[in-house]
Amino acid sequence: MPAVQETIEQVRQIDVDQYKYGFETKIEMDKAPKGLSEDIIRFISAKKNEPDWMLEWRLEAYRRWLTLEEPTWARVDYPKIDFNDLHYYAAPKNQTGPKSIDDVDPELLKMYEKLGIPLREQEILAGVQTSKIAVDAVFDSVSVVTTFKEELKKAGVIFMSISEAIREHPDLVKKYLGSVVPTTDNFYATLNSAVFTDGSFVFVPKGVRCPMELSTYFRINEKNTGQFERTLIIAEEGAYVSYLEGCTAPQRDENQLHAAVVELVALDDAEIKYSTVQNWYPGDKEGKGGIYNFVTKRGDCRGKNSKISWTQVETGSAITWKYPSCILRGDGSRGEFYSIAVSNGHQQIDSGTKMIHLGKNTSSRIVSKGISAGFSNNTYRGQVSAHRKAENARNFTQCDSLLIGDKCGAHTVPYIEAKNATAHFEHEATTSKISEDQLFYCLQRGIPTEAAIALIVNGFVKEVIQELPMEFAVEAQKLIGISLEGSVG
Amino acid sequence: MNMQTGMKLSVAETALCEAYDHALGELPGDGAVLAARDVLISDFKEAGLPTRRVEAWHYTDLRALLRAVPAFDPAASAARIGPLVEGSTVLSVVNGVADARGAVEGVTLRTFANALADGTAADGLVARDGDDTIGRINGAFVRDGFVLDFPAGTELEAPVEIQTIQNAGQVHTRFPATFGANVKATVIERHVAAGDNAAFVTTISDISLADGAEVTWVIFQGQGAADTHLGQIRITLGTDAKLRLYVINAGGKLVRQEIHAVVAGEGSDLILRGINLLGGETHTDVTFTVGHDVPNTTSTEVIRNVIFDRARGVFQGQIRVAPDAQKTDAKMSCNTLLLSDEADFSAKPELEIFADDVQCGHGATVIDIDHTQLFYLMARGIPENKARAMLVNAFVAEIVEELEDEPLVEALEGVIADWLDKHA
Repeated sequence: MPAVQETIEQVRQIDVDQYKYGFETKIEMDKAPKGLSEDIIRFISAKKNEPDWMLEWRLEAYRRWLTLEEPTWARVDYPKIDFNDLHYYAAPKNQTGPKSIDDVDPELLKMYEKLGIPLREQEILAGVQTSKIAVDAVFDSVSVVTTFKEELKKAGVIFMSISEAIREHPDLVKKYLGSVVPTTDNFYATLNSAVFTDGSFVFVPKGVRCPMELSTYFRINEKNTGQFERTLIIAEEGAYVSYLEGCTAPQRDENQLHAAVVELVALDDAEIKYSTVQNWYPGDKEGKGGIYNFVTKRGDCRGKNSKISWTQVETGSAITWKYPSCILRGDGSRGEFYSIAVSNGHQQIDSGTKMIHLGKNTSSRIVSKGISAGFSNNTYRGQVSAHRKAENARNFTQCDSLLIGDKCGAHTVPYIEAKNATAHFEHEATTSKISEDQLFYCLQRGIPTEAAIALIVNGFVKEVIQELPMEFAVEAQKLIGISLEGSVG
Repeated sequence: MNMQTGMKLSVAETALCEAYDHALGELPGDGAVLAARDVLISDFKEAGLPTRRVEAWHYTDLRALLRAVPAFDPAASAARIGPLVEGSTVLSVVNGVADARGAVEGVTLRTFANALADGTAADGLVARDGDDTIGRINGAFVRDGFVLDFPAGTELEAPVEIQTIQNAGQVHTRFPATFGANVKATVIERHVAAGDNAAFVTTISDISLADGAEVTWVIFQGQGAADTHLGQIRITLGTDAKLRLYVINAGGKLVRQEIHAVVAGEGSDLILRGINLLGGETHTDVTFTVGHDVPNTTSTEVIRNVIFDRARGVFQGQIRVAPDAQKTDAKMSCNTLLLSDEADFSAKPELEIFADDVQCGHGATVIDIDHTQLFYLMARGIPENKARAMLVNAFVAEIVEELEDEPLVEALEGVIADWLDKHA
């Protein structure tokens, strides 16, 4: 596999403990004052020219949020967050919705260049049409550019920022927003419902196969800001869409909060494939700074024979708290979850999935690969449940953990609940370290230890990498190599 | 745990608090024991019965499930019964009172009531860390039981059977058992009902194995269909010690068996086998934790559940490996046959690992009877219900056979077959 060679080279080039996305982009920002109150929510709503119903929706969520307590059940440890010490809105100035790439602030473009994100605009302008990915980039609180809009429109696909969608397609948003993750769902989801500033909206109509991969890049740039994005993807009967999400943030000493909500709705025979490469700043060697990534992601297989598949590569963030789930409501629906979670330094990951079998003949598959190094703690927490009427529910779960070094921890906490005699659940979990034999074999052939580890780890996670779209697979492999920098010796 | 403060006491909580005030005068114990009991009951009052918000009780909401607690019933009648395995030495506890005449050759024995009276039992009454509801209730109310001390080198030919028999009322027993170096022994702990009246039973066995001891401990819980059984087994293993623990549940309405093991000696080995035969309306929860605290230890756990009718089964298992416990080899599996659409089963097998050079794994399955196997038997003229019974029996018998102690295997197969005859 050529990508493996690339990984090794990448690892060689980069200094230990270098977060390559740790730059800050100097752009004038328009910020809301610190703190959270009904006025701030009104401010955000007004800034975005939202209709009244949206403001009401937000306020209701906010009032609900005031009654909720921060959850403490996850195996993560962090000082209490002061929710009044954050800016809930930050937007780059001169932002009047760029029509083309030329209208975009050159500083922003420079940032994209540094990110090296698959924003193929320049290639397309030069007439190089290698691979097509439509991109929506979210910078702090607002979406700055969405590409390929026209081409998608021809196919009938709506891909735009959620603020635009609220204005342009209020009926669709009203119908589906909050229908998978209600405003009352949990502490962070409710907070997000009150203050979300932007995110992506995708609507694929009946029978349409989305002609290209859709992608969003999220970046937190400004100091003391929280990022609260909201993504809503709807695939109508027989539709198909594949969506990619990537995230980065600059290096900062203080912790930053990211609390997103992602909702997926798949109607009869529809399929949604959602891939994430999460590379928020993980903090420095001593565990200072980094993003708190508290995310609620849920897919609703609402229709018959629908399918939702989550694939995630988690290498960043100081703390990750994230359980992309599938509600298998439609008969014959299928949920999949493929995950690679790499933790190094002082990172803490508590992540997994939920597969809720409600309909008949539903099936789900979970493959989770956790890799812990340094002083990190990596927990898989997942739930598989079959309700009374979920006849012939099938689940297969495999959780493998790999430990590199003796100061880190790997944990597995699955919840398996069967309420129907025809359920068929299988769960397997293993924890081990890198095989001495494999390592010896590599070293003997002159591959340095660190590269050998990256090689072996890439083999360990191959099953999940294969599920990623090609462009992301290469990037993910590189990321894993970089994340494990400095984990040995 | 103060999440419940401010909540109104439930009926069962009130009953327990009142029972303590009433029983106080007659509970055995010196000043130190009394002080320990007071701490436990006040901790209990503060925490209340656990709800599903307490992670260790996630699937057994004791506050909701424990509707009422019967009062102490001095008039309840019960009598000792014959041993499970022919030739065993029997130590009986009838309606919560130990038979002081019991004796086992070569073993130092006294009743727990005596140990409470002279205060030697006071230190052992302390609850475990965290949400130890069973430890609190049992410690506050415990009246009797046996203290068994197996001197180093003792090798017993026949099993020792501890039997507790009750009919109505409350029974709180304790069985601290210390096995000296290189002891070889088999102990059967059997909890049965003498009648259909609801009894509330809590029991704690404190098992400690010194270096090189090899012990088989079998718990058979066959209480009545209206009984509550809250059991706890605390285990400490010394260097090269080996404990085989069998826990068989085949009765009770509300059952929780907690097993907490500390593997503290290098080279030690813990073998846990569990069989849960659940039928009727029972709610049975087996919760197991093992801490591998030192290098080079092993543990294997195999749990088999068979669930009929409207029964609910729970298994929670947690393997913890401490930071320096390298070369730990721990494997846990939990297999369930869910045989009714009204039954349910929940499992939470956890791994918590802080050492890198380990082999740990767990597997869990929930399945129906294998239809190809059923077809195979039926194709040979065996009627369906019989074929099913054979397959269910094979599913659990496999585990019993591992014991390699013929009379014991036969006795256990007997009780399992009896149970399946009644329920399958």
